[in-house]
Amino acid sequence: MYALQLATAGLAIGSVYALIAIGVVLIYKCSGVVNFAQGAFVMLGAYFTYAITRLGLTPVIAVFLSTVLMAVAGAATERLVLRPMLKAPVVAIMMVTLGVLIFLRAVALAVWGPDQIAFPKLFPDGAIEIFGIFITYNYLTAGSLSICLALAFLAFYRFTAIGLMQRCTADNSRAALAIGIHTSNQISLAWSMSAGLAGLGGTLLATLNGLSLGLSDIGLIAFPVIVLGGLTSLAGAVVAGLLLGVLQAFTDGLVTPMLEGLLRAYTTIYSVGALQQVLPYALLILVLLVRPQGIFGWRGSERL
Amino acid sequence: MSGTRLWITFLVAAAACVLALMLGRFGAYLMHAVVIASISALALNLLTGFCGQISFAQAALLGVGAYTAGNLGNAGWGILSIPVAGMASAASSALIGLPALRLRGLYFAIATLAAQFIFDYAFKILDPLTHGVSGLLIKPLTILGYVVQSDQAYAVIAIICLFVTWLTMVFIGETTLGRAFLVVRENEIVAKGMGIDVARTKLWAFVISGFFAGVAGALLAFTTRLASPEAFGLSLSIDYVAMIIVGGLGSLPGSLLGAAFVTLLPELIQRVGEALNIADILSAAREMAFGLLIIVFLIFEPRGLSALLHRLASRSQTNIALKTPQPTSERRRSELGLKLEKVE
Amino acid sequence: MKRVIKSTIVGLGLLVAWVATPALSADLSVCIWGTITGPDALVNGMSYGTRDYFEFLNQTKGGIGGNKVQILLLDGRYKLDEELKNYRRCVDQENSVYVNGWSTGSVKALREQIQQDAVPFMTESFASEALDPVKLPYIFMAGPTYEQQMIIALRDLATKGGKTLIIMHPDNEYGRGPVNVVRTSGIIEKLGLNLVDTIEFPYDTQDLTAQMLRVKSKNPDLVYVQASTPQLIVVLRDAAKVGMSAKTFVGNIYNISPAIPQQLGESAEGFRAIQVYSDFGSDIPAMKDILAFKAKNKVEKEDVYYMKGWFKGIVMSKAIEAAIAKNGGTVPSDIKAFRTSVRDQMVALKDVDVGGITPAASYADHQGSTRARVAEIKGGKYVAIGDWINAR
Repeated sequence: MYALQLATAGLAIGSVYALIAIGVVLIYKCSGVVNFAQGAFVMLGAYFTYAITRLGLTPVIAVFLSTVLMAVAGAATERLVLRPMLKAPVVAIMMVTLGVLIFLRAVALAVWGPDQIAFPKLFPDGAIEIFGIFITYNYLTAGSLSICLALAFLAFYRFTAIGLMQRCTADNSRAALAIGIHTSNQISLAWSMSAGLAGLGGTLLATLNGLSLGLSDIGLIAFPVIVLGGLTSLAGAVVAGLLLGVLQAFTDGLVTPMLEGLLRAYTTIYSVGALQQVLPYALLILVLLVRPQGIFGWRGSERL
Repeated sequence: MSGTRLWITFLVAAAACVLALMLGRFGAYLMHAVVIASISALALNLLTGFCGQISFAQAALLGVGAYTAGNLGNAGWGILSIPVAGMASAASSALIGLPALRLRGLYFAIATLAAQFIFDYAFKILDPLTHGVSGLLIKPLTILGYVVQSDQAYAVIAIICLFVTWLTMVFIGETTLGRAFLVVRENEIVAKGMGIDVARTKLWAFVISGFFAGVAGALLAFTTRLASPEAFGLSLSIDYVAMIIVGGLGSLPGSLLGAAFVTLLPELIQRVGEALNIADILSAAREMAFGLLIIVFLIFEPRGLSALLHRLASRSQTNIALKTPQPTSERRRSELGLKLEKVE
Repeated sequence: MKRVIKSTIVGLGLLVAWVATPALSADLSVCIWGTITGPDALVNGMSYGTRDYFEFLNQTKGGIGGNKVQILLLDGRYKLDEELKNYRRCVDQENSVYVNGWSTGSVKALREQIQQDAVPFMTESFASEALDPVKLPYIFMAGPTYEQQMIIALRDLATKGGKTLIIMHPDNEYGRGPVNVVRTSGIIEKLGLNLVDTIEFPYDTQDLTAQMLRVKSKNPDLVYVQASTPQLIVVLRDAAKVGMSAKTFVGNIYNISPAIPQQLGESAEGFRAIQVYSDFGSDIPAMKDILAFKAKNKVEKEDVYYMKGWFKGIVMSKAIEAAIAKNGGTVPSDIKAFRTSVRDQMVALKDVDVGGITPAASYADHQGSTRARVAEIKGGKYVAIGDWINAR
């Protein structure tokens, strides 16, 4: 029962991880760039939603508008920052996205200040109990929305025409160009979709955890997720995100107290600290050593 | 390195020491902050700029150096704490590097990111060694029984260490190992084809880079008197990567410039803010400037401040250059794009 | 290349020289640093309050003893190297007579230097390591230590018949230190309580659902949270997520913040915190001054931390005032003598009226007031319940 409760909590947060990770994989597949600024997109999406509700618009419109704004922001980032760097080495491109992260964080700091802000209530208060598992409406909706969005996106990628074009560009951009696909537009599209998804993820995350600059740190969790799932697999990102969320919840709820019980009985070490935070990274190293392409990735994708 | 070059470097270092002794405490503090950052930047530059491996674990290595030096210093090891701290960091660096040998570019970078977090965690829970989150209180450095108290003295010690680091880097650049670094950076397959043991070369880069990171960490320990996990987190690693980018990847003077720039920028902005009475807003501006600078430098001047200054300095010489025809070999090299940048 | 090196060195040298030149220091300078931007910026009312009080003195009374006070507020960004840099600027360049630091880490790292420089140092920290009237005669704080605060809460629990206790804290020094001290001191057992679990979480946490499930499964009478407001908000929010009432939770002085009822609404009702200072807006004489100040100036933060800042301003200025009076009414020209004199006068402060922010403050023990009471969130506001309890 306790374990099921933990698993539910883990799945809810994991689905948000998945949403964010999909964005990173999307950009990587299309343009070969790892977007360190994904966390900043997450944060900005939440802040935009907040700002728009402050203007008096209803939450639903606010979420929609903020997603649109984020899509624009994503495309803008690609055009302004990444385009000029097409020929630059991988190191430089990674660093430039890091620069974007720092810059966007600073802009948020300047506009909204360093303090936490009360995020508008998007979902009703209260909770329900299913089979003895207690879950708030907020958690339920955020979790299911994330999962639906992730799956919807996967479907879009697989079954629609634009999705096909995206896949072609991702697979072999030269060949795609040869058959008439406007690859640079596809790349911009990938960035805007990715930013839009991140923004949505940010809004949902803010309903769960509140609005603050700290939202951008969630972007870092995307990396263990995508390494675990395979850098080139969207489905892998979803599965890995959920898995990691559940793993973290179990670590917090079961492993940590067990370990601490052992340590306290036999040694002077009193606590294991934030084990659930370091766990994804330890797992990441393990995966890189044993199976670098992740659960779903293809061999050879780790080469650049 | 030619004799004249050596003398000039020595004189510059000596002049810096004299300056350090003349400054007040605040100035000396800024000075040793910049110098220590330079040592670490040079170390990271060896790994990233010369050998092409991006690392987000620099702060973790500094931390290892700081904790080692702190513990040794408290136990009375005096000046020996610094080189031993360097060795500890070198070992940690090799530890991070070993599994990463098989990985390339992006995956390697992510692996160093993970290493940074893991070390961070280790600092927090290895209570007997690090005092966990309370932080390790460190006594001042003692050299042969003499207790070093003043910021000015620490600045001088830091400058001496920087001098040694600089000479080492220049020296390495002129050996086979240094050349090997450059080839590995450009293309590992070609390197292998040339007979270079890529794995061993990379490992050497890790070890040497780690050693100097440890030295910088040791100096940090003695100057801040407290080593805590919070001080050696990811944001510090990112600061260092920014330093070598802004300064110029692969350029030695660039690392110094980048270190000075990143370290002094907050202070500069603070003073400007005070003068104009907008200090509150300026705090956010500092971060914005930081991010923007990284972006702008990468897009427009990937070779960083050193190349920028070089261009400014040589502008006056262009007229002469245009008139004199270049010898054939020079033209050839410029045609090939001068990928292998000469070590200055 | 030579030119580049030369011009760079000249440039850097000029920069260093400019920055390193001592500023034209006023006769009377007070220097404060705090987290203006950074992880705990939420509580920086403590720094603004002190600065504003000195500004208030400048505006209404022409300073202290007729001498205008030059106040400098710096941003420590919660980074140790920034704070150390600010300390040197305050002591060396600004020649301040009183320095107000921020973090526990910085006061620990600076202990020896403060002693050597013999400069009166008021710290925001409530850590017991910063409190030692004998070994650290120059360091002062503004209230009971974290341990004392916790003991007050535990005493309260014991008198109400509670038995089981869980402590939650972040994985930083501020969290672990006091908790370890209280835990190993045996006082929990002495009060007849049973500590069933201690939960540590990352200090920058955004999600504590799993931890709250753990807490819920143990069903404690009381959960003491030794954390800052941003973390406490996460605690209470996730407690609500799993169906735990805020009534079970007690926080320390840093958890009296309007942000908590503001952001959590219903989920914050019943939460209790240790209150050392009266809240902003309460019916006390000091509020009249603050409102007068607010009429002409911008007040950055209107919360209990601001009140702490105002409190510090009052006691610091009283010490400086006494030192100037002792010197015949003029500011001593020798900064060393001035600092020592201020320090002596600080310790001599007894039963000082601080406008109702706290009960009368005395600084012989370097703490001011060691009394606190419990405040509970009722209807979105903090309401004091019960009397002032002395920690000693």
